[in-house]
Amino acid sequence: MLRFAAPLAVLFASTAAAEEFNFAVTTDPQTMDPHAVNSAPVLGFLNNVYEGLVRRGKDMSIEPSLAVSWEPIGEGDGWRFKLREGVTFQNGAAFTADDVVFSYERASSEEADTSSWFAPVSEVIKVDDFTIDIMTTAPNPIFPDSIANWMMMDADWAAANGVERPDKDQGNFATLNANGTGPFQITSRQPDLSTTLEPFDGWWGEVEHNLTSVTMTPIQNPATALAALISGDVDFINPVPIQDVERLKALSDVEVIQGIEARVIMLGFDQEPGGASEADMFLDPQARQAVAAAVNVPAILQTIMRGNAEEASQLVSPAMRGFSDANARPYAFDQDGARALVEDAGLAGQTINFRCPNDRYLNDEAVCQAITGMLAQVGMDVSLDAVPVSNYWPELRADNFDMYLLGWSPGTFDAEHPIRFLASTPNEEKRLGSWNFGGYSNARIDELLPMIQSEIDDTARQAMLDEAAAIMQQEVAYVPLYVQPLVWGTRANIDLTQRPDNFFILRWVTVN
Amino acid sequence: MLSYILKRIGQSILVLLITGFVAFSMFTFVGDPIDNMLGQERTQADIDRLRAQLGLDQPFAVQYYRFLEQAAQGNFGISYRQGRPVSEILLERAPATLELAFVSGLFAIVLGIALGVFTAIRRDGIAANIIMSVSLIGVSLPTFLIGILLIYLFSVELGWLPSFGRGDVVEIGGWTTGFLTASGLKALILPSITLGLYQMTLIMRLVRSEMLEVMRQDYIRFARARGLSERVINFRHALKNTMVPVITVIGLQLGSIIAFAIITETVFQWPGVGLLFINAIQFVDIPVMAAYLMLISVMFVAINLLVDILYAFIDPRLRVAA
Amino acid sequence: MRAFVDSDLFYAFRTTPVAVVSFIVAALLVLSAVLAPLVAPTNPFDPASLNLMNGFTPPMAPNDFTGDSFFMGTDDQGRDVFSTILYGMRISLFVGFAAVLFAMVLGIFLGLLSGYVGGWTETIIMRAADVQLTFPSILVAMLIFGIAKGITPVEYRDQMAIWVLILAIGLSDWVQFARVVRGATLVEKSKDYVAAARLIGRSPLTIMVRHIMPNVLSPVLVIATISLALAIIAEATLSFLGVGAPPTQPSLGTLIRIGQGFLFSGEWWILLFPACTLLLLALSVNLLGDWLRDALNPRLR
Repeated sequence: MLRFAAPLAVLFASTAAAEEFNFAVTTDPQTMDPHAVNSAPVLGFLNNVYEGLVRRGKDMSIEPSLAVSWEPIGEGDGWRFKLREGVTFQNGAAFTADDVVFSYERASSEEADTSSWFAPVSEVIKVDDFTIDIMTTAPNPIFPDSIANWMMMDADWAAANGVERPDKDQGNFATLNANGTGPFQITSRQPDLSTTLEPFDGWWGEVEHNLTSVTMTPIQNPATALAALISGDVDFINPVPIQDVERLKALSDVEVIQGIEARVIMLGFDQEPGGASEADMFLDPQARQAVAAAVNVPAILQTIMRGNAEEASQLVSPAMRGFSDANARPYAFDQDGARALVEDAGLAGQTINFRCPNDRYLNDEAVCQAITGMLAQVGMDVSLDAVPVSNYWPELRADNFDMYLLGWSPGTFDAEHPIRFLASTPNEEKRLGSWNFGGYSNARIDELLPMIQSEIDDTARQAMLDEAAAIMQQEVAYVPLYVQPLVWGTRANIDLTQRPDNFFILRWVTVN
Repeated sequence: MLSYILKRIGQSILVLLITGFVAFSMFTFVGDPIDNMLGQERTQADIDRLRAQLGLDQPFAVQYYRFLEQAAQGNFGISYRQGRPVSEILLERAPATLELAFVSGLFAIVLGIALGVFTAIRRDGIAANIIMSVSLIGVSLPTFLIGILLIYLFSVELGWLPSFGRGDVVEIGGWTTGFLTASGLKALILPSITLGLYQMTLIMRLVRSEMLEVMRQDYIRFARARGLSERVINFRHALKNTMVPVITVIGLQLGSIIAFAIITETVFQWPGVGLLFINAIQFVDIPVMAAYLMLISVMFVAINLLVDILYAFIDPRLRVAA
Repeated sequence: MRAFVDSDLFYAFRTTPVAVVSFIVAALLVLSAVLAPLVAPTNPFDPASLNLMNGFTPPMAPNDFTGDSFFMGTDDQGRDVFSTILYGMRISLFVGFAAVLFAMVLGIFLGLLSGYVGGWTETIIMRAADVQLTFPSILVAMLIFGIAKGITPVEYRDQMAIWVLILAIGLSDWVQFARVVRGATLVEKSKDYVAAARLIGRSPLTIMVRHIMPNVLSPVLVIATISLALAIIAEATLSFLGVGAPPTQPSLGTLIRIGQGFLFSGEWWILLFPACTLLLLALSVNLLGDWLRDALNPRLR
């Protein structure tokens, strides 16, 4: 049955030599196409292969990448980017303004999943081979911040391989192959099994890492991943299960790197009359206040999160641009107050349908269970339903809930992002409130959003963000719980940098 | 005889059709693939467009008909998750599962028969009783727990064996094998034990009870009276006669080894079709789920058919009855 | 009662220490599960009674924050592990017994029917058994679970999980019973006494129930006992795959799934105690089944 005359090829090696680096991820990126799926596993991984005009540094600040500089055009008509010269793609082709125009057309096309990034863009103009003008419909001060993950693809390569547009449905050449300008190139790709990378010799930047080959293996079971790290089968895992942090810290050949992620975990409420879940108890702000007062977030952080997370006061974490310092106080835990509010809102005897994912956020199910107990203690009758995420979003879209758990990580690292997606009155046409499942609506917030989006002056902008944060806090639009922690585990001989967006950047890794 | 076989084949195809129908109709409830395929900034329009592209907006009957039409031509569609043909993915994953099933089957058969014979011969010995009791522990704990405990002991605490995956594999004409490298062989040990333990116990107990039964038959007594050595009696006469039921059971268990590989593969991150199926469920990758279920069905139905036909040859009474 | 004590079976039981010990263990476990509300110090299914700050208390040691002490420690939610095991075992046993009962009734009925009536009825039933065998029990359960989730109203999902487990495990088990009963029926049917009963005008139903069924009861009893152990383990496996009892009302399997997340972090008691309970339960039932098979097999006596 086996023919030994056939060529032998070793697919991947588990014995780690000095500069070989093996890492495990929980979710394999589902595509190598940088414009096909706008999800953290895909964008995070492809950041090592493809590059954008700008990129984020170790502290998340925007820095030059394929563009060397940029400046606003006129009174907020758009932005002019000066491109880096002498950059080549991994297939050897030169990077020019044509590739930027092509990448705009591709990434903003109907078939792309990244088109929402370009909603404010009216036109992209090639000025010369190394100058690009991106015109916006309204002044857009944070536009450069919003395109750090917009990755450049070679126009000719795309044409030659018939991948001028992404294909989410059938897949195409770009689903399995990549050709970026980035520091690493893909040498083999077996979806869900293993992906290997090697440094790209022609990269324009200064090399900080010392890797010669990199292997990424998806491991879904957290206990298996942990065992693989402890036994040295892999050099890096993300995330380390929260409960195992202490144990890992005690080991000498393993290190735990902790930080705060951009993701805020919060409770949302059904605030629309009617819907699939007929009970409308959370139309009453008192009912939402009661929940806010009944949930003992510090206790959750102390036990379930083992002191590895921070309480949240608003929809973004303090590390984000536009965080409202004026509204930085979380809701106070007050059981007696909550009991009184339950009484006033007439919540007793009503069953609250609480929706929760059980495979989406760190310890999501345990947190929801704890919240169920805390609400029961102040007299609420909560029925918890924890489901896998593939069943979760359809339920939320069908309004099949009274209360739900949501985590939100602003893609732009700016406080405007959650206002646009979570707090605006849902409006299909304007692409607003697309994740506002509960239908929260406030006229002043809707009014503030376009003003925030086009305000160039930082102080005025912050004042409006503060106002929005205050309104949401006062109306209990959501109950922010905590900022999800980042917990990475590495072998002790690895140096790396953790970025709050949970992207694992290979060019910052060194093996000692 | 021929008409009986033809009739059974016809019935088997009907079974497959029903199986496919049942499986396919269930996917409607498993979840919605759309959310996994689109990022967080998607709009309702994006959702509707993709749904139409995938044909998920069509009535169920139309979806099922399309699936059958394509499956009959060996085309199981494109995986939602990986964006490439499902048949390609299945072929890529099959060697891992088949090698695991082969080794754990071998482990179960060899050890099962050996221990079965031993416990039958030393029916009242202390060692045999201990083996019998301990073997029950193996079937009294869920597979996933046994796997996790084995990882904990042999990879984390002792560091002897790899905790996940297949190790180094060698590709030979499209077939990846772990048999040719040291790390590949080491990687097979824990998953094979986990997967084969249940079958091993089953075979051992079956062999034991069949042996005990045979040993009290007259011809064994007669053989003993003739002064044949114990060894000859045990192996030439007794064991040989227990093999028929044992082989039947082994045949039927082969299918369930592959089905139960789902759990073992999940625990050990073994890159086979079972893990593929679990991932497909999480992602609601309907083409992969459908293809996997059809594959398993074809396998079981084929084994069933084979067993029935064999019986028909062996036992003429059944031929008439059928 | 008297007749039972005097019977061969009871004598065989009395003289087999393994059988006596496993019977006592199984009986104790079942009893403590049934009487859980009386035996357990706390009610872990009442979310209002839990104090999260009690979470992760080791066995027999006071909690750092609250000073409370627990015989077997607490889990991540501050639930007393001992009480949770008792309540969880209740669910596991209920699921196990109900699933086996369901499978048994269905299997005996279909087995008798196909064996006695034959013809198309038999073909349909036996092919249905093929379809059933085609789907490994785990897959059946996962699919049924998915469907049930889709069609039950939100309010009933908590209770639904248990019934779905029973249905799923029961459905994957009936084939065994049906095959054994059918085989026995085929053998009995051709015997003279059945022909005689038919001659004197007994109805098929009476013949099946009065004459054939008693003859198949011993193999059924053996299968049922072993199926019970299997069902309890199947429930645990399904919980591991995320389609088991809800975490707010955990079964033994759900407890093990939760506990295995804490194996590496040093909170061994969350896994160890439920796992040992499951092992004891399944082992004692298996040993009983084993003994029963030997004892009821006339050829081995």
